[in-house]
Amino acid sequence: MKRKAFLVDTTRCTACRSCQVACKQWNKLEADSTVNRGSYENPPDLTPMLYNQIHFIEQDRGEDLRWLFINRRCLHCADAGCVKVCPSAGALYHTREGLVAYNRDKCIECHYCVNGCPFDVPRYDARRKVTKCHGCSDRVQNGLLPACVKACPTKTLQFGDRDQLIAEARAAGKKLYGEKDLGGLGVLYVLDDEPGTYRLPKNPAIPASIFFWKDVVKPLGILGFWGALGAAALHYVTVGPKKIDAPDEQQHKGGE
Amino acid sequence: MSNYVDRFDAFDRIVHWTLAVSFILLVLSGLGLFAHTFFGYFGLFGGPQQGIMAHKIAGVVFLVCSVLLFLRHMGELCRFDADDRRWIVKMGGYLSRRHEDIPQGKFNAGQKLFGIFSFVAALVMGITGYVIWEPTAFGRELTQFSLMLHGLFFVLWMVGMIVHVYLATIGNPGTLEGMLYGQVRKAWARKHASKWFQKVAGNR
Ligand code: SF4
Ligand code: SF4
Ligand code: SF4
Repeated sequence: MKRKAFLVDTTRCTACRSCQVACKQWNKLEADSTVNRGSYENPPDLTPMLYNQIHFIEQDRGEDLRWLFINRRCLHCADAGCVKVCPSAGALYHTREGLVAYNRDKCIECHYCVNGCPFDVPRYDARRKVTKCHGCSDRVQNGLLPACVKACPTKTLQFGDRDQLIAEARAAGKKLYGEKDLGGLGVLYVLDDEPGTYRLPKNPAIPASIFFWKDVVKPLGILGFWGALGAAALHYVTVGPKKIDAPDEQQHKGGE
Repeated sequence: MSNYVDRFDAFDRIVHWTLAVSFILLVLSGLGLFAHTFFGYFGLFGGPQQGIMAHKIAGVVFLVCSVLLFLRHMGELCRFDADDRRWIVKMGGYLSRRHEDIPQGKFNAGQKLFGIFSFVAALVMGITGYVIWEPTAFGRELTQFSLMLHGLFFVLWMVGMIVHVYLATIGNPGTLEGMLYGQVRKAWARKHASKWFQKVAGNR
């Protein structure tokens, strides 16, 4: 199966938030109660009941206000930090289309995954289970577009064959964010400014501590365990135990 | 005259074995979080969520016992003299069959180092364990770093524990008795802790 991906062309986004609403409707997610913070951005962050969010970047430029919008969500990394740290095999997994979906029944509520994610995406619901955008894997498997893409009136959100989306964007002279990072992201962005402006890391990567934990400490543990056991066994059969009554040990001027 | 001298009192023994049991529970309940291969161990606790709960409780017991043991033996553990340095240079004589005569106090230099390591490692496990108790409670970077440290010190613990168990059982016959019922044979004391033996024997 060829890898599928989202393409989010932020330059087209009008912040209508149809995507936010469509996602809530398809996934049967309740509304969050929020407070007015003096911005149209609402809620201000992903929540257990908000799998995608339009983040508003509001820059005061003298007379002018610069308004940038970005659809935030899980980026469906090929090399996904959340999958890497999840202790329960199959709780978080890649679908055949390359989307990162999850099985709540297998989630053991450890809450490690948000710490493995380079983008701070996963959230936990009232039952303490993982929630996030799953790329509408249920719809995609049945040949439908993800709900948010379907609802987007401006073609900001597109979904399809990953290589093809990249080729089309290239042909249109657009620069893509996430083409190569983390094994290639499953959500490619066309940005109107530096990634940092959109709260995206410039060079997204698995967090260093997480990498060290999973790729250095873990193998070291296996080595350490068998190494120590082996060393003890080897010592026992070569040097041998220090017996109390071994000859020549007594009377050697005991406590001088 | 008895062939034995007292080495550890009942309190020490109880705390030590409580510590040992909590350690085993910690390993069994924690392995499932360490690698997929060991996920099945959660079954021993009736499920992953229960396993994680057991891990947290055992962790608190482990930390309390570690602190207790350390406080009780701090004086002995943290004092190193010329003999200890000699012991360390000669690796305690463990590299040859010959008996090295390096007079040692109640604990030899290796045991002292292990005692200090255990205490420090228990603190690290306790502090990082507290941070990852609820992995969304603290900042992401602190939590990520704590997850890594918790794993790293688990590995160090595991290695230290294998060495500790080996040396305290078949590696040095007679040692275990001190922790089982509190007494060691005089010959053991003369051989392994001559300075300590002189002190306690002299007190008779
Ligand atoms: S919270 Fe659930 S999905 Fe996330 S890492 Fe833990 S078991 Fe996996
Ligand atoms: S963005 Fe985060 S949650 Fe999504 S696949 Fe990547 S690591 Fe997982
Ligand atoms: S792909 Fe589906 S789950 Fe993900 S944000 Fe869009 S509608 Fe929500």
